[in-house]
Amino acid sequence: MNFVVLAVALPLLAGFLTPALGRSSRALAQWLGWGTLAVCIGVLWVAWARLDGGTVAIAIGGFRPPLGIVFYLDAVALLFGLAVPLMALLLWPREGTPQQFALTLVLTASATGLALSGDIFNLYVFYELTAAASFGLIAGRGTGAAQGAALRYLLLSAAGSVLLLAGITIVYLRTGTLNLAHLATLAPERLQDPVGLAAFALMLIGLGVKGELFPVNGWVPEVYGSVSGRLAGLLAGLVSKLAVLVVVRILVLIFPQPEAAQLMLVLGMLGIVAGELAAWRARDLRRQFAFSSIGQLGIVFVAFSVPGEAGIVAGLAVALHHLLVKPALFLLAERWGGSIEGLRGAGRGHWLASGLFILFALSLVGLPPLPGFWAKLLTVMGLMGLGTGLAWLGALTVMAATVVEAAYLFRTLSVLLAREAGYTSPGPHRGLDLVTASLAGLVLVGSVFALHPLGDGLKAMAAQAADVQGYIRTVLGDRAVARRGQREDRISEAHPASRGSDRPMGRADRAYGWPAGSPTRGARS
Amino acid sequence: MRNFTSLLFAGGLGFFLLVLAADLPVGAAPMVAGEGILGQGPEAVGAANLVTAVVLAYRGIDTLGELSILFAAAAGVGLILSGMRRRADQRPDPEGGFILLAAADLLFPLLVIVGLYIVLHGHLTPGGGFQGGVILAAAFFLPLLGRPGDSLNHAVVNWVEGLAGGAFVLIGLWALAVKGDFLAPMLGKGALGSLFSAGTLPLLYIAVGLKVGAEIAGLMSTLQETEAAEP
Repeated sequence: MNFVVLAVALPLLAGFLTPALGRSSRALAQWLGWGTLAVCIGVLWVAWARLDGGTVAIAIGGFRPPLGIVFYLDAVALLFGLAVPLMALLLWPREGTPQQFALTLVLTASATGLALSGDIFNLYVFYELTAAASFGLIAGRGTGAAQGAALRYLLLSAAGSVLLLAGITIVYLRTGTLNLAHLATLAPERLQDPVGLAAFALMLIGLGVKGELFPVNGWVPEVYGSVSGRLAGLLAGLVSKLAVLVVVRILVLIFPQPEAAQLMLVLGMLGIVAGELAAWRARDLRRQFAFSSIGQLGIVFVAFSVPGEAGIVAGLAVALHHLLVKPALFLLAERWGGSIEGLRGAGRGHWLASGLFILFALSLVGLPPLPGFWAKLLTVMGLMGLGTGLAWLGALTVMAATVVEAAYLFRTLSVLLAREAGYTSPGPHRGLDLVTASLAGLVLVGSVFALHPLGDGLKAMAAQAADVQGYIRTVLGDRAVARRGQREDRISEAHPASRGSDRPMGRADRAYGWPAGSPTRGARS
Repeated sequence: MRNFTSLLFAGGLGFFLLVLAADLPVGAAPMVAGEGILGQGPEAVGAANLVTAVVLAYRGIDTLGELSILFAAAAGVGLILSGMRRRADQRPDPEGGFILLAAADLLFPLLVIVGLYIVLHGHLTPGGGFQGGVILAAAFFLPLLGRPGDSLNHAVVNWVEGLAGGAFVLIGLWALAVKGDFLAPMLGKGALGSLFSAGTLPLLYIAVGLKVGAEIAGLMSTLQETEAAEP
């Protein structure tokens, strides 16, 4: 399975060569980018097929896991990994310069790395790379607004990176290791205290900058309001989800204490309230979507804060739904930018675009039987299952957010479909944007008819992602699991709600010890 | 008021971090992964400079990521500034004085030699591709300080950085094809401490040095051309 590294290496290779190639032929650079992304999709697809529900750790450079860097492949990692080149291909900056192609390729590589990496510092490197690539892409549009937004994003992002690094430093000073699986074995002993919690808080805020978490999302409306719909879709749909995925990995593996999840729940709730209220007040369509994206990401954080499988199922459902819907909405808003009031009657005559808009809006609000409904239902059920006061408050927030979402999205719809004319169109939607949005719509409608298989698939994925023992066994082998078990027995009295520790151990079918140069192959669940 | 709040927030954050730091074994972290690398590093990788063994072998993909960060930053700056280049009718800054011009000419070969030395000995002594690359960049940028009218050939710069970055990835892919592990050290370890030792690590550092040098020199040159375009 070592070939999966190609999904990170090839876009970097192509990205490095693109500016030079683009000097002689822009078309060649573009085709190189498309070809590379297609190969990445193929690589990850083959990996998905071969993995077949199991988990594998790849030791990069052949150095055995606690010393070298590992990539950890499970269904969740590969699903998000596969989404990266696919969405980069669909949202490719067609009118861009070779530099923009190069940055998009670098962004693809780093986002794939965020999905796959199993080493906390390696994740930091990919997170920084994602940031560096997005600065250029955001500012590259050349307008003053975009550059101002990019500067703001740069400052917030830099602050976030410092906090993230501080958190990683604390974790390293406490444990002496950076490997996530190794950290999972050491965490019950060395990070179950206020300092450990502070480390999690720092990492949460740091990763929250790209995950649009509550206090550090000030860049969102400006950036999404000033960049092209394709880039906004890529950042809001994809990059934010990968930041969340990293948070979830850290939470599940290293910070099982309930306070960590509660912190995430509270910040997520604040994000929902702030985002949805701001979206309700917004007078510009793109900014409305940007604020709504903050609210949706708040729901994602709230959902993932529910311990165990239930939370991961709900979080994955909300995240995947938003990953599908929001980029499509940004594509549709490309021609309907600007003040909402100015769009009076804009939807009339463009029935495909309007129909898609209605579909996505309804799913975002959560009208049954559209997938958005099931995602929110899972979240609310998960929270109610917890039974604590804070969780009830979270469930109420999600439901109240639904009402607010319905209010502003229907208001926007009624403006778009209003009878009075007076709207001067800047031209019809570009064909390709419509095709991409239709594709998302088809997937959305198709998933209504496949709810059961989808639900089962999500459950299996979540079970795998919540399986801390399985993660450790895959990366480090069976001995490490036994060691963690002993430590947890001592600690479980203090924290009975410890995540994942009570899960039955899966069956380890083949474990090749740790020889340098061979991947450790782990449990199939 | 706003300044005061910011100050209060920054002060609070600083206090928070200090309290955390007071509770941590700063400078004396538990040597878990570190111990392992110290134990088997020289034997497994063959680099006399163990830091290089970590940077290029154990955590080679981190270094590839860091190279890419620099690349993305340089490409981003190029993208932003591409619309602000000096127009033909604008005069650049006046040429530097005798001392600057003579020093630039004198230092150029010395800087190139020092830079290459540091790049080539990265696996033996402190230094390596990043440090040597910056010195190489300085060598090529210094003459431009003296003669602001000149500029680097950006096509050449792009090709050097592209091919050097490509070489780093290709060496990694070569290891993937032959040994089955991306970026695994190849070519035998040689005698510890000699110039031709540590397998592919020196080759990786040459790629890093060239890429960093080309990137920083190109970046500085772009910045200088843009600066001259300001009224």
